[in-house]
Amino acid sequence: MSEDKFMQVLIGPQHPGSGHMRFIVKMDGDIISEFEPDIGYVHRAVEKIAESKRYIQIVPLVERPILADTANINLGYILALERLLGIDAPPRAQYLRTLLAEINRIHSHLYGLGIHGIMIGSSTIFMWCFADREIWIELAQELTGARITYSYMIPGGVRRDLPNGFNEKLSKAIAYMEERLKDYEKIFINNPVVTARLIDVGIIKKDDAIKLGIVGPNLRASGVAYDVRKIEPYCAYPEIDFDIIVRKEGDAYSRVLVRFEEIKQSMKIVKQVVEKIPSGPIINESYLKLIPPKLREKAEQTGIWKMPAIFINLKPRKGEAISRVEAGRGEVTHYIVSDGSPNPYRFRVVTPSFRNLIAFKYTMPGHRLADIPAIYGSLDYFPPSADR
Amino acid sequence: MVFSITRSLKSFGKFLRRILIRIIEKRPIRDIRDWGISYSLWPAHFTTACCGAEFAAASAPRFDAERFGFLPFTSARQCNVVFIEGTLSRKMAKAARMVFEQMPEPKFVIAMGACPIDGGIFWNSYNIVLAHNILPVDVYIPGCPPRPEAVARSIMMLQDKIKKMGGAKYDELK
Repeated sequence: MSEDKFMQVLIGPQHPGSGHMRFIVKMDGDIISEFEPDIGYVHRAVEKIAESKRYIQIVPLVERPILADTANINLGYILALERLLGIDAPPRAQYLRTLLAEINRIHSHLYGLGIHGIMIGSSTIFMWCFADREIWIELAQELTGARITYSYMIPGGVRRDLPNGFNEKLSKAIAYMEERLKDYEKIFINNPVVTARLIDVGIIKKDDAIKLGIVGPNLRASGVAYDVRKIEPYCAYPEIDFDIIVRKEGDAYSRVLVRFEEIKQSMKIVKQVVEKIPSGPIINESYLKLIPPKLREKAEQTGIWKMPAIFINLKPRKGEAISRVEAGRGEVTHYIVSDGSPNPYRFRVVTPSFRNLIAFKYTMPGHRLADIPAIYGSLDYFPPSADR
Repeated sequence: MVFSITRSLKSFGKFLRRILIRIIEKRPIRDIRDWGISYSLWPAHFTTACCGAEFAAASAPRFDAERFGFLPFTSARQCNVVFIEGTLSRKMAKAARMVFEQMPEPKFVIAMGACPIDGGIFWNSYNIVLAHNILPVDVYIPGCPPRPEAVARSIMMLQDKIKKMGGAKYDELK
């Protein structure tokens, strides 16, 4: 019988690769013939809980699904909420948002690169990436006060101003990272073991990538120059010069290279942000009035703004708003429906990992069992963000 | 005849084992054993939710949990610690229980984050299981997510607990 030829292999949810999901793989000898991702292990009903929370309480809630890339998903929510409230952040706050989003993108990419490294057996790159990631986390910590869950953006602005001596630390970090990336190229990117395992593995063709709706660096590695930062610019991106990294091959190696080059682009953006940042308030003036004068004086001295308690009763107008943001792993879409009460009527977030999930099913068949970690890591998949 | 000999050998083996356990449970040997267990805590590579990002940072060079003898390992059969990294959903709770049952004695559980304690930010979610309902938790780490220093602290607390209260449980053998 032909059915006896196949063997079913179950991988996960406890498996050496990082990730909370199960794969149901149908094997024909050593060749994968069918690949079915079994998700839902981290489903915590973020969207449903959001309906029971106030608008300002959702800010930390949306961070939890993408813990490695919190600033970008937060920014998307705040942009949607600001559209609903009909309010805009002042220019300095827009630049600060861009700064944190790019710092977060760098350490999110380093996270992905490190996890991919250890999946294909290169412990060195895991150790290096996670050590260098701490430098960017510390910079963000100095700016926001938290390691990875920033909750930095609030409707109408940001919570804190640039601390003293931040620019010197940032330029030091960039100089260090540029030197390190050369080492990365030597030990990981041009490593014969890595190239042998990744080149021509897990190819997503250009047409397939568009048809499947893949987003982010995975899409750009397939030859589509699509980046929300360029197509629908938000925050300070229209005034900043950077390139979209595109590669034609669409294999696992090109996806790694796109992320690697994007780290350089992000550093370029961060440099420009610090040079161009205008002076002025960091919260919209109509919200600034709500802060008592004594607190305002204190805040102007320290640069740390405390949100007034009135924010808990934030009531947007009746209607709906949508926002698109380019996060580290791809495009995040937020959709809020308001019925005029302090809680949202419906909250929806479409995360990049959820849209990249379908790529597993179509890229894996035809490869060998040992190629699973190589492709899985290259897609930079983050399960909590897909399950929400 | 042969049957009775093997049977008597078996009962002799049981007797010998009981004596050995009694010797091991005595003072100097027990202390050495617990000291050994406390410095070879190997957690299974089992990520339950988003706190895994901070757990990974804890085993990375900056915080380096491996200096406590703490090495994440692939197979549950060779491990002795389950690290609950954040929220346990209903689907994941079954897997967590399965991983815990696969591990040999003595085994320990560390629950990381606010979610295993009381649900944390997801307290009113319909898909949450609290860790103490399914596993005997030894150490809790509060925080959402806890910092890597807190992870290192929890390892040291577990080591202290093992040294003071004894690591191994021989209930099944007795």
